[in-house]
Amino acid sequence: MVQLRPRASRAPASASAMVDEGQPASEEAEHGLLLGQPSSGAAAEPLEEDGDGDGDDEWDDEAPEELTFASAQAEAREEERRVRETARRDKTLLKEKRKRREELFIEQKKRKLLPDTVLEKLTAASQTDIKKSPGKLKEDNLQKKNEECEKGSESKKAKEKVQSIGQNKSYVALRLKDQDLRDSRQQAAKAFIQNSLYGPGTNRTTVNKFLSLNNKRLPVKKAAVQFLNNGWGTQKKQNAKRFKRRWMVRKMKTSKK
Amino acid sequence: MKGAVETSCALQTPSRPGRAQHPFSVLGFLTLKGDESGVSQARPLPFPRMGEFKVHRVRFFNYVPSGIRCVAYNNQSNRLAVSRTDGTVEIYNLSANYFQEKFFPGHESRTTEALCWAKGQRLFSAGLNGEIIEYDLQALNIKYSMDAFGGPIWSMAASPSGSQLLIGCEDGSVKLFQINPDKIQFERNFDRQKSRILSLSWHPSGTHIAAGSIDYISVFDVKSGSTTHKMLVDRQYMGVSKRKCIIWGVAFLSDGTVISVDSAGKVQFWDSATGTLVKTHLVANADVQSIAVSDQEDSFVVGTAEGTVFHFQLVSVTSNSSEKQWVRTKPFQHHTHDVRTVAHSPTALISGGTDTHLVIRPLMEKVEVKNYDAALRKITFPHRRLISCSKKRQLLLFQFSHHLDLWRLGSTVATGKHGDTLPLSKDADHLLHLKTKGPENIICSCVSPCGSWIAYSTASRFFLCRLNYEHDNISLHRVSKMPAFLRSAVQILFSEDSTKLFVASNQGSLHIIRLLEGSFKHLHTFQAQPGTVESMCLLAVSPDGNWLAASGTSAGVHVYNVKRLKLHCTVPAYNFPVTALAIAPKTNNLVIAHSDQQIFEYSIPDKQYTEWSRTIQKQGFHYLWLQRDTPITHISFHPKRPMHILLHDAYMFCIIDKSLPLPNDKTLLYNPLPPTNESDVIRRRTAHAFKISKRYKPLLFMDLLDERTLVAVERPLDDIIAQLPPPIKKKKFGT
Repeated sequence: MVQLRPRASRAPASASAMVDEGQPASEEAEHGLLLGQPSSGAAAEPLEEDGDGDGDDEWDDEAPEELTFASAQAEAREEERRVRETARRDKTLLKEKRKRREELFIEQKKRKLLPDTVLEKLTAASQTDIKKSPGKLKEDNLQKKNEECEKGSESKKAKEKVQSIGQNKSYVALRLKDQDLRDSRQQAAKAFIQNSLYGPGTNRTTVNKFLSLNNKRLPVKKAAVQFLNNGWGTQKKQNAKRFKRRWMVRKMKTSKK
Repeated sequence: MKGAVETSCALQTPSRPGRAQHPFSVLGFLTLKGDESGVSQARPLPFPRMGEFKVHRVRFFNYVPSGIRCVAYNNQSNRLAVSRTDGTVEIYNLSANYFQEKFFPGHESRTTEALCWAKGQRLFSAGLNGEIIEYDLQALNIKYSMDAFGGPIWSMAASPSGSQLLIGCEDGSVKLFQINPDKIQFERNFDRQKSRILSLSWHPSGTHIAAGSIDYISVFDVKSGSTTHKMLVDRQYMGVSKRKCIIWGVAFLSDGTVISVDSAGKVQFWDSATGTLVKTHLVANADVQSIAVSDQEDSFVVGTAEGTVFHFQLVSVTSNSSEKQWVRTKPFQHHTHDVRTVAHSPTALISGGTDTHLVIRPLMEKVEVKNYDAALRKITFPHRRLISCSKKRQLLLFQFSHHLDLWRLGSTVATGKHGDTLPLSKDADHLLHLKTKGPENIICSCVSPCGSWIAYSTASRFFLCRLNYEHDNISLHRVSKMPAFLRSAVQILFSEDSTKLFVASNQGSLHIIRLLEGSFKHLHTFQAQPGTVESMCLLAVSPDGNWLAASGTSAGVHVYNVKRLKLHCTVPAYNFPVTALAIAPKTNNLVIAHSDQQIFEYSIPDKQYTEWSRTIQKQGFHYLWLQRDTPITHISFHPKRPMHILLHDAYMFCIIDKSLPLPNDKTLLYNPLPPTNESDVIRRRTAHAFKISKRYKPLLFMDLLDERTLVAVERPLDDIIAQLPPPIKKKKFGT
């Protein structure tokens, strides 16, 4: 059997390398296997050797380069360590980024809320002011939304507002969370009734079609109630108008000449 | 003697629904030929012609009423409470010719889902915002609103004794409230159900209730609050369906039968003692959305989504057997869209729905006297004026629920003969679109005769704005600080010279405010007696500015002296509410129109009824005049002809000529102009004081702009229907 010179290509090389130089490397391979080296290490070695011994015809003269197992192991370990290092660095980078973002958000939130002094005064004022006339209730309900918007935005004017809030006992402090819950339930209810009356599965038709049914059954058939669709082709009509104007102008110019 | 209104011309103004959005006003030429000789008088004086008018026909008022959501009938006072989808609650007095006497304005967040009367004429409503609201019928405002903490409220029922209130909520809970004299108080919760409670009904003894939900009906025992039976409803009549079956209405009869109507089109009878189905009637292909049982429990009415209303009656099986069964007797098709609510009064069936009509159908077998009162009543157009007019500048102010529109009328230079349509040389101008702040609806609005002030009011605020006209531009400036007592107004009126503002507030008081260049000054307030408010106040001021008339209380129409700021006299009370009020220019005669179509003329300086008024009351009005359906909403006068009164209702306008003889029941009321070859004698016989024209209808407003011009604001019914939500598809053979 002719021993072909091993090529430097990848996949077939590895196979042939395994076949050809399995014998000299077999001892290291055995060691490798015992030590739990990944099998690619055994395959990698012959490839490296291929590179070395590419232009060599003396592959049967010289013994292949001896790479000790320890060095290969060390190299592999280096590889791994490098990979682990990069992963760790990436993770820490991400962590730092996230931390910075959180801090930013907290700061923004702090800026949005009123300072603690104002909140204290609010709770004190609401405790003292229990009695409210029914007539004012309606006003309060109406002004609820205004109050919420105001509270959310101003923090600089808080100081001036503090005194006025304490004395003027005609507003209501609301938790926005409750309002959201109530609104969402109302939305759900409205969606339910809309769906059950006009949703899919209901047999609804347009008012135009409904009113035109009679026209269809007359002895002299008439057109539908809303026969013209004025919304059709608005862009086309606009373009046509513009073109007409330009054409007229051009016509005037040429006729003048 | 030619005393007639020409209606035989060929004026055809095509109603083009597609162009309803574009403003156009067509000037029609209407000739009212007057009498040539005064036959009724001894002296042969030449009588002035009534003259020819140019008529501005306005169709660009895009008025769309909101659909009716709930109806509640009160037997003791024969009143009907109607709530609409925008939150407005209206009270109709069924014995006063079905006139809308009071209303509570709507609110954007209030979508009422249930309305009921309780003991002592108290009105409650509940809606999707989760609150129970009680209405104060005397002060015309909301007494209080209480949050039920159950989420959106879908149904509410008052106990047969009237002292307890039951509500069904979104989260499946049924809550019981105790009605105290001043407020309602939460008592307890019943067993919580899985899905939302959409309908409730009390057993007449008050021991059990039936609650309809999605796919099932539960029967509760009131004492313990627990369910005794749970009846599962088929999704489709003898079939399978993916869509859930929604029980839109339940009714509990005293023999223990529960009647349910659902979205599959079935009316089912259940036995509540055993929890089983007794009978099923399939009445429609679409939802059956409402049910109402009469007090005697021998008939009930259901309304479907196709617009049909079915009447079921308890009839005996054979003519002399005692066994009875429920039979579907009469179908009524008066609606085009969903009938979302029905009510059963002792003599009539009442229905209302998405097509905004309120239909009252008296049942022939229950009505005692078979006269015109037993005819079908369909209430479509508002019973109050939504339009005000500034004559000097030819402006019209349209009131919508959340904004106001100010238009200037177009003009023409052409002339023509009777019946012509004149082309416009200048189109009508949309000057101003004024949106109100806040979620509340506008109650009333007015523009001053000179056109420089606009005032309008919601339930909690009053707005006064000043308009400046420079050349063709208009600028608006709001007067910012309104006084504290001027909160909400029921009626607003400016004096003829635009220097004074008269405001009737909902507490019954009347304020007079003097308007200055950029501000105002409060002059006086007239307080009303508490507890006497009968209907919404209407105001009228005399053109010379001396007298102010105010109606709405049970004492009658009060006339105040504006210069001396005190009460001048009171017109004696009449048992029907006032629908329109006006004071004539020179004679200062107060003309009052009531809801039973009676018209009175009261002389303010003399403090007594005028001669003409006594004559017509003695003779009585023509029977066709008294049989008109719609109330008179506006009265005005001709500046140069003191004998003429111009008034209109939704389907006709009329000029009353006080100098002509009154018609008796035998004469023709709507007499067209007889052909010219008729002899004079016949013409003389048919002429009378009421010159009626039905050319412009449906009329929302009609007024005299100047001596030769009229303005008529029409609202064709097709234009309203074109903007309603989609109806159920109907399959007709051949289409």
